[in-house]
Amino acid sequence: MRDMTFGQYFPGNSFLHKLDPRMKLVLTLLFIVLVFLPQNWWGVLLTVVFLATVVALSRLPVKMLFKSVRPVLFLVLFTALLNVLYVHEGTPLWRWGFLHVTTGGLNNAAFIAVRIVCLILGSSLLTYTTTPTALTDGIERLLAPLKLVKVNPHELAMMMTIALRFIPTLMEETDKIMAAQKARGADMESGGLLRRVKALVPILIPLFVSSFRRAYDLAMAMECRCYQGGQGRTRMKQLRTTRLDWVALSAYLLVLAGLIVLNILL
Amino acid sequence: MPMLKAESIRFDYVYEDEAPQIVLRGVEMEIEKGSFVALLGHNGCGKSTLAKHFNALLLPTGGRMLVEGMDTAHEQNTYPIRRRVGMVLQNPDNQLVSTIVEEDVAFGPENLGLPPAEIRARVDEALAAVDMTAYKDHSPHKLSGGQKQRVAIAGVLAMHPDCLVLDEPTAMLDPQGRQEVLDTVCRLNREQGMTVVLITHYMEEAALADRVMVMDEGVVVLDGTPRQVFAKGDRLQALGLDVPQPTALCAALREQGVDLPQGLLTPEECAEALLKLIQ
Repeated sequence: MRDMTFGQYFPGNSFLHKLDPRMKLVLTLLFIVLVFLPQNWWGVLLTVVFLATVVALSRLPVKMLFKSVRPVLFLVLFTALLNVLYVHEGTPLWRWGFLHVTTGGLNNAAFIAVRIVCLILGSSLLTYTTTPTALTDGIERLLAPLKLVKVNPHELAMMMTIALRFIPTLMEETDKIMAAQKARGADMESGGLLRRVKALVPILIPLFVSSFRRAYDLAMAMECRCYQGGQGRTRMKQLRTTRLDWVALSAYLLVLAGLIVLNILL
Repeated sequence: MPMLKAESIRFDYVYEDEAPQIVLRGVEMEIEKGSFVALLGHNGCGKSTLAKHFNALLLPTGGRMLVEGMDTAHEQNTYPIRRRVGMVLQNPDNQLVSTIVEEDVAFGPENLGLPPAEIRARVDEALAAVDMTAYKDHSPHKLSGGQKQRVAIAGVLAMHPDCLVLDEPTAMLDPQGRQEVLDTVCRLNREQGMTVVLITHYMEEAALADRVMVMDEGVVVLDGTPRQVFAKGDRLQALGLDVPQPTALCAALREQGVDLPQGLLTPEECAEALLKLIQ
């Protein structure tokens, strides 16, 4: 647990790694639109080919990429099953009591499943090729217009950074407290659900207390280093959109146009 | 102009419905530029509270605190003072802000609003000064305690301070980590002329300084070179402090009638004196 690299960044130097995080965030959102746009299998095929090209460009191990689908596998199968059973179109293939399986149902099920898998793969590409810091940075700059409605994107980004920084520290601390409580005879492995939840209390309370102490220290350390909020603050690492970013955006727009054409023609 | 000057500083913690708790009762001190001062005292003697006055984290309830002539009580001085007096705290985990070492070091200069190229240069320089350049892309939580503390020092150095205040920086480190941090601090003082105020519990660390101040009950009670201060073993013991082990050994031997000079601080000096005696 302690070695968990937060987020799931996979170091590399590919086309995708080099893109501006802002562009990657925007493109990921746009990609979600792309996934839900096709109305026929030709469109889906185009989306899949596009995604496959991007995956190839990212030079990520494909096996690792598919691991990110595993947590939603149940969802994929479940929606597919619902579609198989409840969409009654096309030729009936099999019937048992109230259960019908039709070609239309199978078609729909496959359609949905492919879309969800594409969606997950596409968005995990973002987290695989962008460091958490770059992501936070990108979010901060993209949300800059929120200043107009009195939401401070710098504060949001600072919170995310600090959370990312302290998650491993607090996990280590949880391990320590658990060991300490076990040494005092705490039993965390047996009993029903309620008992186990109760057993967590003596772990959570010291964890909270120490988190507050850490927060106090951190605030002081930040003040010592002249922190005064986002105002007048500059950044060492500047985000720059390069030609690569515009190439990526153009590629996206081409695929989008293709999909629209396919939707209209077929 | 002295780097730090405390003019009869008083400080009370005021709680609601309770008598104020007096922590500092008129501290007088002057710390010259380029000096290396160790601040000693048992728990609760007010040394950490005093340190927080050095960079305007706390303001005196009485008296004046001057940093290079600037009064900490004036609000417009707060940030210029914090830039000049960098502070390193005890727990290395609680003072690193970012998930990447070099970005953490950049945090201070970023707050100063410096141009990106200047920040880059300062970060590289600061990491080199604490010998952590090789770890610049690492995540802080995977570093050892000593390494984290050196990153914290680099974070302060990147603001180009004139003075470094370290509040028990080695208290949570293993012996190797302690040595790394002390070596770094000593080197900064000797090679770059950085003014250092080191608050510590370890007498061996205090022996490295060129001036030792001992606090008790909110005032400075002893002040002098390590030799002068550690020669007063009985007084230190009465204040709840030890003397460095070699000094204690020599004192014990002297009591038994062995003819040893006063004020030996390091094991080497002690061994040399004993060798001379035997020969």
